[in-house]
Amino acid sequence: MPSATASTNSNLSFRIAEFETLVDGLDYAAKGETGCNFFSPRGELQQALTYREIRERAVALAQRFDRLGLERGARVALVAETSPDFLTFFYACQYAGLIPVPLPLAINLGGHDAYVERLRNMIGRAGAEIAVGPAELLHYLREAASNLKMVGTPEDFYALPASGGDLRPFTKDEACYIQYSSGSTSLPRGVFVSQRAITSNARGIGQHGLELRPGDRATSWLPLYHDMGLVGFCLTPMLSQITLDYLATKSFALRPLTWLKLLSQYGGTISFSPTFGYDLCATRGLNGSAKTIDLSHWRVAGIGGEMVRAEILSRFAETFGVTGFSPKAFLPSYGLAESTLAVTFASLDKGVEVDRIDQEHYTHTGNVSPVNGRANGKANGHVNGHINGSAARSFVICGAPMPGHEVEVRSETNAPLADHNVGRVVVRGPSVMDGYFNDPAATAAVTTEDGWLDTGDLGYMIDGKLVVTGRRKDLVILNGLNIWPQDVEWAVEALEEVRGSDVACFSVIETDGNERMIVVLQCRMHDTAARESLRKKVVATVRKTCGADCRVVLVPPKTLKFTSSGKLSRSAVKADYISGEISDLNLASSRQAAPTPAYSEQRR
Amino acid sequence: MQWTADKVQEEIVTLLQPFNPKGIEITPETDLSADLYMDSVAAMNLVMEIEDRFEIDIPISLLPDVNNLQDLVEAVLAQLSKG
Repeated sequence: MPSATASTNSNLSFRIAEFETLVDGLDYAAKGETGCNFFSPRGELQQALTYREIRERAVALAQRFDRLGLERGARVALVAETSPDFLTFFYACQYAGLIPVPLPLAINLGGHDAYVERLRNMIGRAGAEIAVGPAELLHYLREAASNLKMVGTPEDFYALPASGGDLRPFTKDEACYIQYSSGSTSLPRGVFVSQRAITSNARGIGQHGLELRPGDRATSWLPLYHDMGLVGFCLTPMLSQITLDYLATKSFALRPLTWLKLLSQYGGTISFSPTFGYDLCATRGLNGSAKTIDLSHWRVAGIGGEMVRAEILSRFAETFGVTGFSPKAFLPSYGLAESTLAVTFASLDKGVEVDRIDQEHYTHTGNVSPVNGRANGKANGHVNGHINGSAARSFVICGAPMPGHEVEVRSETNAPLADHNVGRVVVRGPSVMDGYFNDPAATAAVTTEDGWLDTGDLGYMIDGKLVVTGRRKDLVILNGLNIWPQDVEWAVEALEEVRGSDVACFSVIETDGNERMIVVLQCRMHDTAARESLRKKVVATVRKTCGADCRVVLVPPKTLKFTSSGKLSRSAVKADYISGEISDLNLASSRQAAPTPAYSEQRR
Repeated sequence: MQWTADKVQEEIVTLLQPFNPKGIEITPETDLSADLYMDSVAAMNLVMEIEDRFEIDIPISLLPDVNNLQDLVEAVLAQLSKG
């Protein structure tokens, strides 16, 4: 049985992401005793590697890569399993001057063809020359990439001849890796991350956002093919000599409490999750054996990757309060892969702070005004409701940009907006990508005329802090009313008959030129009458939520489309609806839900 | 204990009952997503039940090739034989 790596280095001074390349950072971390630990689905330690061992393996593999005759900057496709092999290959690429391209894992029942298609598009668009994946995924990889220089398991590559290879590490002005995060399955967009971008982002996260300190220990189940997993819980900790405890994403999905048990047992101080991870734990609750869990040392419980939802976090804090978990540990953040990972962080040790606004004012003007002149309030689990008779809702404050980075809110014509005015969130700074790999058109589409990154998100500023309200392109505008599709989806998902991730809301322009809101709902009912009664209930719920009418389209499970990072792709679902791919289960034979060519794209 | 294919199938059919509120007849050809409407959350719950019942690990990499009950039985037998 291995023993886990230490949380602190006894012989090495603590340097928080001061390095200009990943290789410099790993060379330094390799002088200490910290490293990475990998745990079984039930939380038993399986493998422990110090950064010294990881570096040794990476260097040995880089020398083998040298024999494959790859040009500097050639792409290496890596299926990103949470394993020592992934770290070895990712860092070996850095020493060999090759660009790693992490690829997602397969997870869906019966999803063989879709997974292969996704891999094929990602490998093709990156122009990868070799591909590596675990043995049990190799047949998908071979199917997706038949004509590469080499496709194999990690062992196949370790068996290459070892002698004579040179190291050609990337220098500070060169590339680092390609991150697939945004874009649909058929047109994935790979963010081209430079050494400058990753080290700048790690510096901002480590020195400013988390204020890393000796003794910090990171715990993660986040997938390493996603920016929050790779940057937040692989590269940034390495660049700050922080020990990592890894649980595979699948293990978390099956048994979410294992995450909390690991944090408790090994003294993790930093861990992040999208809101849904906290939701899963709160839903599962504390079971008998978990009553010994101690979360009092968990000082940063970060939230990112999707809209931060205060009411769910309150429920988590309530459920796990007996473990010593402090709601002040919650740290809302905002970021996107196009800015490597992080852009803003809320203040440490403050918990979730919300801005409470007048719902009616927002809905009619598109801008926000504080309720009762009081902009800030603590989340209390009743985020939306009525305050002194006026309808109120709340948004989580995601904090100020990291040093060296700037965030502005702009109008549709690119004019800067004052506080409390909702507009397009734009970002500038050293973490922002140079562009999507080999895709100047997509890059231009997210760059403002004065060179800022247009995040595609909507939000507003208050006193230098960002509040994100949603995605711009998804906004539904009905009769001059602004409606957040998330709000509608969450309300429908809260119905007893509906599950999370079963609903997509968007709007289309109909033949009469009016905008109409569409709610596509995955339905598991077989009975026609039961479906109709669900339809009525959804219409009523939507009406209650936003005061607008919608057309409900009931579809079979697995109809909705998601981006490669697992977010609902409303635009893809909408495209399917417009093209007629999606039609109603009960109305399939009639014309009512069928599209007509007169449907046009939404105005904005 | 020694698991036979029949016994494994019988156990899995039992484990599938909570996912079959309509009580449709489950045969080896029953498609888990199309007939039982299992989504990814349900699939994860089923995987957990199966892992606990048979004391095996089911790699998620198998799931894309599991369409019906027969596929699932074969996947479990393969993992059992790795003992």
